[in-house]
Amino acid sequence: METMSQFLSSCLPHSPIHIPHPLQRVRIGANAAFVHIRSFMRISHISLTNFRNYARLELAILPGMIVLHGDNAQGKTSLLEAIYYLATSRSPHITADRQLISWLADDEPIPYARLVAEVTAASGLKRIEMTLLAGNRGSAARFKKEVRINGLPRRVMDLLGQILVVMFLPQDLALVEGAPVLRRRYMNVTLCQTDQQYCQALRKYEHTLSQRNALLRNLQEQGRRGDHSQLQFWDETLAATGAMLIAGRHRLLRDLERRAQRIHRDLSGAGEHLRLRYQPGFDVSVEPGGQMAFNAGDLGASALPELPPDEITGRFMEALSACRRDDLIRGITTIGPQRDEMRFLVNGHDLGLYGSRGQNRTAVLALKLAELSWMQEITGEWPILLLDEVAAELDEKRRTYLLERVGEAEQVLLTTTEPSLLPSELLKTAARWHVRNGTITVEETLSG
Amino acid sequence: MPGAIPASVTRLIDEFSRLPGIGPKTAARLTYYLLRTPDENALALAEALRDLKATTRYCSSCYNITEQDPCPICSDEKRDHEMICVVEEPLDVVAFERTQNYRGVYHVLHGAINPIEGVGPDQLRIKELVARVSQGAVREVIMATNVGLEGDATAMYIHRQLNGLVRLTRLARGLPVGADLEYADSITLSGALEGRQEMHE
Ligand SMILES: Nc1ncnc2c1ncn2[C@@H]1O[C@H](COP(=O)(O)OP(=O)(O)OP(=O)(O)O)[C@@H](O)[C@H]1O
Ligand SMILES: [Mg+2]
Ligand SMILES: [Zn+2]
Repeated sequence: METMSQFLSSCLPHSPIHIPHPLQRVRIGANAAFVHIRSFMRISHISLTNFRNYARLELAILPGMIVLHGDNAQGKTSLLEAIYYLATSRSPHITADRQLISWLADDEPIPYARLVAEVTAASGLKRIEMTLLAGNRGSAARFKKEVRINGLPRRVMDLLGQILVVMFLPQDLALVEGAPVLRRRYMNVTLCQTDQQYCQALRKYEHTLSQRNALLRNLQEQGRRGDHSQLQFWDETLAATGAMLIAGRHRLLRDLERRAQRIHRDLSGAGEHLRLRYQPGFDVSVEPGGQMAFNAGDLGASALPELPPDEITGRFMEALSACRRDDLIRGITTIGPQRDEMRFLVNGHDLGLYGSRGQNRTAVLALKLAELSWMQEITGEWPILLLDEVAAELDEKRRTYLLERVGEAEQVLLTTTEPSLLPSELLKTAARWHVRNGTITVEETLSG
Repeated sequence: MPGAIPASVTRLIDEFSRLPGIGPKTAARLTYYLLRTPDENALALAEALRDLKATTRYCSSCYNITEQDPCPICSDEKRDHEMICVVEEPLDVVAFERTQNYRGVYHVLHGAINPIEGVGPDQLRIKELVARVSQGAVREVIMATNVGLEGDATAMYIHRQLNGLVRLTRLARGLPVGADLEYADSITLSGALEGRQEMHE
């Protein structure tokens, strides 16, 4: 992965080497800020059983741009959700996994949903299969996810990175305006798609955090009899894995900030300057007590010095022992990446507090496009793009800007209730699918 | 419908549902199955259950389950009593014995530290291990708790208790992460035993 990204960054930016795309398709513009990548990854077939309102779907998917249109509540977003779920093992919505299983399957003894994608990649054809089992109704049996890759049972974690996706959703706006948990989720999902080590650290961190919190409560109950030395192991594990999360998130936001700033300038004009600020869930000062604190002022992520993970581990350990008494009283771990924040600033003002709707939309679009370009660079692939209702959500200028940048992707699925909002040039070349009540009909393209 | 099910039936269903991996439905199915089987089969099961408790106890040295105290392993003169392998469960002992490669003795903790499930060091046979080692005459303690956070937490805790008293080693990481020892195959387990390393904080 490193050599690939080195290779790519050596042809970046304004690379004289232009690798022609294997299939020339919709190209309504090109931008030097984006790498031209010869990509092979795409989904060639998807099959859904009992997923949302799809009782049964078998669908071959072509490369290029696909416009999914249809009335409200027909299943457009659900198809994108299925692909996103196969790629990340999560829904893009805040929803219980159980809700993905069609409610029509509720009467079956064990309600289940199955998602299968055939993926064409440089390494060959892969079959990715996921089964969601609801467990018996009324019984204690729990919800289960089962993953198979090429027929072999795998861990859920092994799914990540098999299909790369970037999704644009109307509710992305909540990244700026909503609760911090959404932004942490965003950082986690984005990093997990490309970084197995991060993903492993995240799982270990979350597990350790629950054990530590349980221990804090047990110690609280035991009072003076409690053996506090038991905390040491969990503190050390928390600090070591937490440091990897902090280092990963900082690196991510730094890379995204640089890219997002360029895009944001294009979209909003020269007067507005975007910053992404990373605020770790405890003060990772460079020098303890020094003036260069990590959280200080309105510095963006790229202005902060990069800290090696062991240094963060050390600081984390210190911070944990400093607040141990507080943690014991409250019965919960009060510091750490579970409290991390990222903030969007324009000209030093926090958009979450002061941004106008339009400003926030622009910032989110810049972030998502930055994510796309970032993912391309580190993986050397075009991710599959899932664009939900972007035509209705964005004004003409932003819409055009976005569509220009995704026109060359290997595979784009775009939903709309209103195809007439899309550029006619795009409609001429894109495939058109009509979505109605959980069925999809492939239509003739206008140009034929 | 109170009284629709006789009390003795409900009682057995309740007892079955206490067992790991058995939900109320399975418990009911097992109970009604036993109701239909010939008397002698049901009685044989009852006797087996009673004998299980009546004839077994913990070995006073290694805390493995045994019919005689000390257990056959602890009373075997030919084994190396200066080497103790610390495991979570009695079934882990079985796994090591299968390798036919280990000639020391064991110490069974009966679990691992797991705060979420309310298991702390006091619920495990850790004090007994420390006492055993403090009496001297132990050359090496091999930590063979499961691979994973809880097993590691247990190993580190014991490490701190025994530090300086004895040579401490940990199984080599040939084992798949999250693997339970009882399911490891003999070759993997033998390898992990041979490649064991000094334990540090
Ligand atoms: N678990 C489920 N089982 C069955 N149907 C479901 C389930 N969850 C959601 N649905 C239904 O699936 C339908 C499709 O929803 P979806 O969000 O995909 O529609 P859409 O075509 O994107 O509509 P819109 O244009 O309004 O965004 C909705 O009517 C929804 O109520
Ligand atoms: Mg929708
Ligand atoms: Zn014994």
